[in-house]
Amino acid sequence: MSDCQGLGDCDDTRMQRIYEYLDGALTCDDLAEIKQHLDTCEECAEQYDLECLIRTMVKRSCTESAPENLKNSILDRIHSIKPVDA
Amino acid sequence: MSFRCGGDRTAARRCRSLNGVGFLTLVKDRMVLPEAAYGVQPDSPKLTVDLATMSTIEPAAAAMYEAADATDDDNAPAQAAVDVSAESPEQRRERFERDAMQYVDQLYSAAMRMARNPSDAEDLVQEAYTKAFSAFHQFKPGTNLKAWLYRILTNTYINLYRKRQREPLQSNSDTIEDWQLAKAESHTSAGLRSAEAEALDHLPDSDVKNALQSIPEEFRLAVYFADVEGYAYKQISEIMNTPIGTVMSRLHRGRKMLRDMLADYAAERGFKAHTEDQAAAGSKNQEKEK
Repeated sequence: MSDCQGLGDCDDTRMQRIYEYLDGALTCDDLAEIKQHLDTCEECAEQYDLECLIRTMVKRSCTESAPENLKNSILDRIHSIKPVDA
Repeated sequence: MSFRCGGDRTAARRCRSLNGVGFLTLVKDRMVLPEAAYGVQPDSPKLTVDLATMSTIEPAAAAMYEAADATDDDNAPAQAAVDVSAESPEQRRERFERDAMQYVDQLYSAAMRMARNPSDAEDLVQEAYTKAFSAFHQFKPGTNLKAWLYRILTNTYINLYRKRQREPLQSNSDTIEDWQLAKAESHTSAGLRSAEAEALDHLPDSDVKNALQSIPEEFRLAVYFADVEGYAYKQISEIMNTPIGTVMSRLHRGRKMLRDMLADYAAERGFKAHTEDQAAAGSKNQEKEK
């Protein structure tokens, strides 16, 4: 997909590093290095932006409210259960 | 692990770090600023989780593993003050209602990604809450209650709901996964360019939900926990009872599939608008030429 080698020598590696960057799963050194690369490489920054956008969309779309009666059904049910002693 | 590491120095270092427990401590804090990644929580417990022993799926075990987790729950300070052994059943019920009931919406959202319809999702959440309440004396106050509930929900789904549906575990996972993966990987770019981002951004929520729903569930749930709840790999591995490497590979593949699906939806909806824009621009140019 690209000639950019800044984040690895194949697309898979590149995307994995972007995911890890987004997931907050990197060491200090790697974080700084990737941040620096994203600041200078338009192509990788574009991939990063798209991933951010997809996350935002997923989060927005999958945040639902439970039906009103569900909370009450749960409360009814736990009131009918005798709690276990610790 | 499904991804390959590049030949560069840091990638090699990163690969090595995946093999040791050291990596676990690195994933604990999310989106840390470079200067804050180390030493920010000198008192944070050293991780002693043995992934090989995590095959049990009882809430008691979940509570035990959560005990190794940090106090990253919003209500941790209040919970930590509770002396569970001195608590009466009525007090415990009140504590459960106060601390656990606030997560019904979140659990319902997750259940909607597991079950196929709202009614099953409701059943699932209700069943999970019933189990959580029965096992609440085993929950260690001060640890992450929401993650504990998610774990019970996931187990409930696997043990009860799917059994009731008489569906074998991921009956057609391999087939779906393979063709979807092949499809995702056949795109020369990662599926989308920024020119398509705008069309993507305008996709209705229903498209996004459908796209997510169309990827195999173990990938779907990993993506959900990471993107919607923002959980770190370690927390997802505890909730889904899988090794961290599996979580990472599921996320990687799941995101690729999701991106591909979204590209398809965007192509159906977005490109049409894009073409109209171009047509409009074209006719304007023609007018100018006249």
